[in-house]
Amino acid sequence: MTTSAVLVAPHPVTAQEMQAARAIAPHLVDTPLAVHARRLALWIGLSAVFITLCIGVDMTPAAFAKGLSKLADFMGGMFPPNAAGEEVRILQALAATFAMAVAGTFLGVLGAIPLGLLGAKTFVSNPVLHFLIRRSFDVFRAIPALVWALILIVAFGLGPFGGVIALALTDIPRIAKLYAEAIENSDPRPQEGIRATGGQRRAAIRFGLLPEVLPVMASQSLYMLESNFRNAAILGIVGAGGIGFELEERIRIFAFDQVAWIVIAYVLCVMALDYVSENIRSKLVHG
Amino acid sequence: MPQQEAIKAQVIREFEAQRRVTLLRQRTQQVVVLIGFSALIAVCFHVSGFFSGSQGSDPWGRIANLLNIMIPDLKPEALFEDRGTAGSLSSWFYDMPTWLALLWETVQIAIVATLFGIFGGFWASLLASKNLSPSPYIYWLTRRTLEVIRTLPDLIVALILVAAFGVGPLPGVIAIALGTMASLGKLYSEVNEAADMRPVEAVKAVGGSWWAQVRFGILPQVLPHYASYGLLRLEINVGGAAALGVVGAGGIGIELSRAITYTEFDTYFALLILIIGLIILIDLVSEAIRHRLIGLEATA
Repeated sequence: MTTSAVLVAPHPVTAQEMQAARAIAPHLVDTPLAVHARRLALWIGLSAVFITLCIGVDMTPAAFAKGLSKLADFMGGMFPPNAAGEEVRILQALAATFAMAVAGTFLGVLGAIPLGLLGAKTFVSNPVLHFLIRRSFDVFRAIPALVWALILIVAFGLGPFGGVIALALTDIPRIAKLYAEAIENSDPRPQEGIRATGGQRRAAIRFGLLPEVLPVMASQSLYMLESNFRNAAILGIVGAGGIGFELEERIRIFAFDQVAWIVIAYVLCVMALDYVSENIRSKLVHG
Repeated sequence: MPQQEAIKAQVIREFEAQRRVTLLRQRTQQVVVLIGFSALIAVCFHVSGFFSGSQGSDPWGRIANLLNIMIPDLKPEALFEDRGTAGSLSSWFYDMPTWLALLWETVQIAIVATLFGIFGGFWASLLASKNLSPSPYIYWLTRRTLEVIRTLPDLIVALILVAAFGVGPLPGVIAIALGTMASLGKLYSEVNEAADMRPVEAVKAVGGSWWAQVRFGILPQVLPHYASYGLLRLEINVGGAAALGVVGAGGIGIELSRAITYTEFDTYFALLILIIGLIILIDLVSEAIRHRLIGLEATA
C-alpha cells in the first residue's frame, strides 16, 4: 500500500528550511574552515608528490607529446597489416612459443607438487616454518620470467631450452602457492572417514584428498598455461626464440605493418587458447 | 518360481553386460586422453630442444658451473674492507649508488604507472560494468578493448613504445599503466557490479546526475576495494618494472642486462638480491596499508 504522498516530487529547499537545519546541526550544513583547509593541504601535498614522481620518470607533457607524434606515425605504418610472405614462419614461431609454454608449465607443475604439499598447513603444521615457506613463495613469485631467462640463456645457450627452464622457475612458486591453498581448503572429512575405517595415510590421500583437489589443481595448471603463453612471447626478446624474437626483429627495422600482422595473429591465438582453456576449466571444476 | 529365477538371472546378465560396455568406454576414453596428453607434452619438449642435446651433454654440470660463476669470491678476512679490496662486500656491490638510484627509479615507475592505471581503470570500469554503463554498445566495446590490451604482455608493448619514445623510463610507465588499466578495469567493473544499487537509486530519485549517482551512490561502497586491488597491483608492477630495463624502458633492468653483456655473473646475483629485497620491502609496506584499509572498512 503506497500512499500518493510518498510519490510527490521533492520541492526545492527554501532558505527558511536551511536556517532551521543550521540551527539543529550546524556541522552537517557547513563544513568548518579548518576541515576545508586540511583537505586542501592534503590534496596539494599529494599532488606535489605525484608531480615530482612524474618528473622523475620523464612523464612530462612535452616528452609525452614528442613520442606521441612518432607513435602516431608507427600506427599509420601498421595499416594494412602485412606478413611480407612470411606467414608460415610466423605461425611456426607461434607454435614454438606455445610449445615452450606447455613444456615450462609441465616442469613447473612437477616442481610445484612437492612444494605445494610443504606449503600446506595440513602437512607442515609448525606455524613458523609454514610462514617462512609461504613467504618465500611470495618473494620468488614476484621475480619476472625475463630476469630468470637472461641468465639461463647464458648458461644453456640461445634457444628455447633456457626459456623453458625460466618459465618453470617463475611458475614453481606461483603454482606451489595455489596448490598449497587448494590442499588447505579441501574438506578433511573424507580423509577422516577413510582413516576411521582403518585406511592407511596413503589411502587417505589417494581416496580422500586427491579426488577433491586434483580437478582444482588441473584447472590452476591450465590457468598458468594461459599466463605462460604470454610470458613465453616475451622471452624471445632475450634469445629464447619464438614469436618474441620475430617481433623484436621487425620492431628494430621499423617494419610496423609486419609487427601489426604478428600482434593480431598473437592476440587471436591467446584468445583461442584462453577460450579452450576456460571451457576445460569450467568442465573440470563443475564436473 | 523357476521362471522368476530365470528372469532375475537374465536381468543380472544384461546389467553386467551393460556395465562392461560402460567401463570399457570409460577406460578407452581415459587411455585416449592420456596418450593425446603425453604426445602433446612430448612434442612440446621436442620442439623446445630438450632431446636434441644442443645445450651440451651435461646439464647438471652446466648448472653447477653457472652457480659457481654467480657466487662471488668473498674473503672472510676482507669482508668489510673498502671497494678496492678484492673479496670485500663492497667490491661485490661495487656500484651501489647507481643501483640504489635505479631501484628508486624502478619504484617510481611502478608507483606512477599504478596511479595512472588506477585512474584509467576507474573510468574504464564505469563504462564496462553492466549496472553503470551508459549504453550496452559502450559496455561491449570497452570490455573487448580491455580484453585485447590484457592479452598483450607489458614488455611487448614497452618494446614498441621504446621505439617511439626513445630509451628511458617513460615508455615503461606507459606500458605498465596500460596493462594495469586493463586488468584493474576488469576487476573494478566486477566490484561495481557487486555494489548495492539502492544508494544509486536514491540519488537518482532525488534528481542526481549520472556523476552524482556514481560519486555518492557507488564510490563510498567500492573505494576500499579499489585501493586494495590497486595496492596488490603495485606489488606486481614493482616486479614488472624490474624487468623493463632489459628492453631499454628504465629501471634496474638496464643493469641486469649490462651485467650479462659484460659476463659479470656475480654482479647479476647481487642485483637479484637487491631486487628481492625491494620486493619484500614493497610487500610489507603494501600489506600494512591494506590491513589498515580493511580495518577502516570494518570500523566504518
